[in-house]
Amino acid sequence: MFKRGVIVAGACLLVAMGGVGLAQARDYISIVGSSTVYPFATVVAEKFGRISSFKTPAIEATGSGGGLKLFCGGVGVQYPDITNSSRRIKASEVKNCNDNGVKQIVEIKIGYDGIVLANSKKTVPLNISRKELFLALAKNIPDPKGSEMVIPNPYKTWHDINPALPDNAIEVLGPPPTSGTRDAFMELVMEDGGKEFPWIKALGKKDKNAFKQICHSMREDGAFIEAGENDNLIVQKLEVNPKAFGIFGFSYLDQNSDKLQGTLVDGEEPTFEAIADGKYPVSRPLFFYVKKAHVGMIPGIKEFLNEFTSEKAWGDEGYLTDKGLIPMPKAERVKFRNDAGSLNNLSL
Amino acid sequence: MSDIDMDKTNKTIDTVKRGLARRYAAERRFRLFGLIAIVISLSFLVLLFGTVISKGYSAFQQTFVQLEVTFDRAMIDRDNPANSDFGGLVKAAMGREFPEVSGRKDKRKLNGLVSTGAVYQLQDMVSTDPGLIGTTNLVWVPADDDVDMLMKGHAKRTGAESDRRLDDQQLAWIGKWEQEGKIRKQFNRAFFTSGDSREPELAGIWGAFVGTILTLALTLALSFPIGISASIYLEEFAPRNRFVDLVEVNINNLAAVPSIVFGLLGLAVFINFFHLPRSSPLVGGLVLTLMTLPTIIIASRASLQSVPPSIREAALGIGASKMQMVNHHVLPLALPGMLTGTIIGMARALGETAPLLMIGMVAFIVDIPDSFVTPATALPVQIFLWADSPERAFVERTSAAILVLLAFLVVMNSLAVILRNRFERRW
Amino acid sequence: MRPVKKYGSEHRGTVGVITSENPRMTCRNVNVYYGDKHAILDVSIDIGRNEVIAMIGPSGCGKSTFLRCLNRMNDTIDSCRVTGEIFLDDQNIYDKKIDVVPLRAQVGMVFQKPNPFPKSIYDNVAYGPKIHGLVQNKVEQDEVVETSLKKAGLWEEVKDRLAHPGTGLSGGQQQRLCIARTIAVNPEVILMDEPCSALDPIATAKIEELIDELRAHYTIAIVTHSMQQAARVSQRTAYFHLGDLIEVGETKQIFTNPSHRLTEDYITGRFG
Ligand SMILES: Nc1ncnc2c1ncn2[C@@H]1O[C@H](COP(=O)(O)OP(=O)(O)OP(=O)(O)O)[C@@H](O)[C@H]1O
Ligand SMILES: [Mg+2]
Repeated sequence: MFKRGVIVAGACLLVAMGGVGLAQARDYISIVGSSTVYPFATVVAEKFGRISSFKTPAIEATGSGGGLKLFCGGVGVQYPDITNSSRRIKASEVKNCNDNGVKQIVEIKIGYDGIVLANSKKTVPLNISRKELFLALAKNIPDPKGSEMVIPNPYKTWHDINPALPDNAIEVLGPPPTSGTRDAFMELVMEDGGKEFPWIKALGKKDKNAFKQICHSMREDGAFIEAGENDNLIVQKLEVNPKAFGIFGFSYLDQNSDKLQGTLVDGEEPTFEAIADGKYPVSRPLFFYVKKAHVGMIPGIKEFLNEFTSEKAWGDEGYLTDKGLIPMPKAERVKFRNDAGSLNNLSL
Repeated sequence: MSDIDMDKTNKTIDTVKRGLARRYAAERRFRLFGLIAIVISLSFLVLLFGTVISKGYSAFQQTFVQLEVTFDRAMIDRDNPANSDFGGLVKAAMGREFPEVSGRKDKRKLNGLVSTGAVYQLQDMVSTDPGLIGTTNLVWVPADDDVDMLMKGHAKRTGAESDRRLDDQQLAWIGKWEQEGKIRKQFNRAFFTSGDSREPELAGIWGAFVGTILTLALTLALSFPIGISASIYLEEFAPRNRFVDLVEVNINNLAAVPSIVFGLLGLAVFINFFHLPRSSPLVGGLVLTLMTLPTIIIASRASLQSVPPSIREAALGIGASKMQMVNHHVLPLALPGMLTGTIIGMARALGETAPLLMIGMVAFIVDIPDSFVTPATALPVQIFLWADSPERAFVERTSAAILVLLAFLVVMNSLAVILRNRFERRW
Repeated sequence: MRPVKKYGSEHRGTVGVITSENPRMTCRNVNVYYGDKHAILDVSIDIGRNEVIAMIGPSGCGKSTFLRCLNRMNDTIDSCRVTGEIFLDDQNIYDKKIDVVPLRAQVGMVFQKPNPFPKSIYDNVAYGPKIHGLVQNKVEQDEVVETSLKKAGLWEEVKDRLAHPGTGLSGGQQQRLCIARTIAVNPEVILMDEPCSALDPIATAKIEELIDELRAHYTIAIVTHSMQQAARVSQRTAYFHLGDLIEVGETKQIFTNPSHRLTEDYITGRFG
């Protein structure tokens, strides 16, 4: 019994070590990165896997930063071929890539994503400015008396901030700091909202840390609640509590349009069209990056790029728009399809 | 016996009797608490199963639409089906069904009623039976997830158009299908036979199921013999000294380490150092082995310790070697307990997602894994991924996947009970 | 040769003749410690070939402990430490080179508490011969099982249920099963720790008869609390007291004319 066990264990270890040899070949594309791009990349991957003779790419949602770290780990089958990102690659990340031998990177922008503030349809929609959102959600806000000082956020209801707003307690469910949506919300709403105060704007140029300290600190007194990575959970909570608002990507609003309505930000409703033509202010571009050294080494990368950048995928009426992707203008699409076709190097 | 003695005995009895009521009351109280505890936990269990089943059972059915498909010679490339325009076949069929629909936008809306899976289905049909080319057939194809939700009553038919995923026109088309009996719900075979998909109506649990089987098989094959050998060595052979004490303390600590740490370890050792393939059941199995080993070792040692020493003495006294003593007498008695420990460890491994996250098994994987080195996910990962998907139709699929996971657990545990009863020959 | 003087209870050295003319086992200056507890104090004694030696003494005096030294069963207790020398013929059994497996096949043991394996009656008896390779085939094995059980006086009671579990027997039957199991290996020395403590007079008589028979070929050390039994089966008797070997001598002499006050107190029932 015992001896047999040892033999079985030994055999399994041998199999495991055999895996080392097999690791030399990988016949599927490995994609990592942003969870915002994940829903779009997966759709393309699935289509690609079904209609082409190549295997379906494996896609992990590791977050934009995590994905770029894995991607820049080096060249070789154990490193991913493509990473998705809900922001542009940073110079420091390009350097890290270069240091690890990943010298040639192809950048493809795929479209835009809107970040929405939504609530249940059972109540009236909100119409709010980014400045007001900043005042509602920042931990410390500029002294209303006008001095260049911050005080702990005193506002209890929306009405306190602007008499035109409803007299409901401020209650916003949002993503945790690990999420790309949170990053984008910070940048596009909290920073821009804070900059409406001239002295904070000036501070942003002078002392970046102090600026971030003010704009990136969210309330901790219950007005802003971190609801975890699961956006569906936020959607469910909004249904139960019509007075609460939630922050998430546009696709969740799109999929739940029967239950939820988007808040108008700076007078713009978060609709497909408004995000596409840039009227809705809280939107960001989405990217993916391709490791050029892997093209030819891993089968199907070129064909995958071709599928992703085709009009039937990311075009105005492509299948990605069904999933909530907001397409780029035609000219941009042509440029990036061209970049993908000729594997043009990234230039920052 | 003297009178005084009699007095004393009577007094003892009296004291005993007086205390009796209190003793029984304590017993009744304890029984009551026990009963309450059981009732509470059972009702939670019923609640859990109730919600999961009521939410998930509808996923075992799927709405299908009947189309009259003409396998047009012009649109099918016999030698290279991948080059054929099966999407065109579906669109043509839909066009014949509703000839009155015209205009780009309306056609798009109409074609959106059937799943993109219809295309793959026709492609499959032709590649298995090229004789179909040139014929016209009635084919049941899966409906879009929005239609599916509507038919299952998870989406509204009334109310403002903007509040609905399907507008009045689409509802009218579906209404026509309903009248003609061209739309029906049937058993959702795809759920049990296909891998993951971003289209809820095409998504299946089979890929994750196979991934789980591969991963757990490796985990079992490694952790059971290693764990049992380690526990036997520590319990029966290892000298009692500082070093062994240190090993023991460390094993106990490892059992309490958060599972994500094992994932990080797996990433550093198996993937970055040994270059084993990311996302593979091989690495998953190795990581889960590390995670379950302490549990198995601790449980196995406890069950070895519970074997009476007299049995060991009997064997040694007759001249059995230590190895013979262990194999012939101690192990058979300790095996049921070891199996229980292994099952507990495996059940924990079955439900684990955190360590798999680090080694890339939390991923979108469509192809069914066919070896230990192809990318795979596991059941809890699939549940996690579906729970996080925006499409409404994934809600019921998430619950259905939980049901499958629970069923897996039940099967695994019953197997353990059967095995244990097999081995547990209490003499 | 026989000491005339009666030793008082304050004297704790061994009196009597510890040596044997034809020794099978020779023990010299044996000390046993359980951790800090000194359980056997400097005991020296011979066990003669083809003799039955009885070990008596009050409960807790170290009889079992000493007996277990003779086939190194004390090795299995972690806290137990043995010093001194014990020879089996010319070999020091505590020598580093000695393998305990053949030693225990040579020096078999019946334990104080019956401890049959949780297996069938047949397997209990057949186990020893099987692992030592003493039987070549099923026929031989059946034969060994039958003769061993017959010798232990159990055959008639169990011959129809050899496949039944050994642990399902009564306490006395279990003890006889353990005896059968020990003699099935055909050891040269048999150590018996109160083999009859759970047996009725009839079964006891059978075992005593067996011991008498075995003496022709074997050397036997038996621990017993029954003075009558010691008197009936043994040729020599050793009296232990609180870890000391107080007195050794011819059984007849010990029971009729003990030299030591402690021995006398014990056998006359004034003590213990
Ligand atoms: N495993 C052990 N660990 C520690 N002390 C022990 C152990 N076994 C026995 N002893 C001690 O050693 C002494 C001798 O014990 P032993 O079992 O040899 O007595 P005994 O003469 O066989 O008694 P009895 O007639 O009751 O069987 C006792 O004081 C006992 O407490
Ligand atoms: Mg004893």
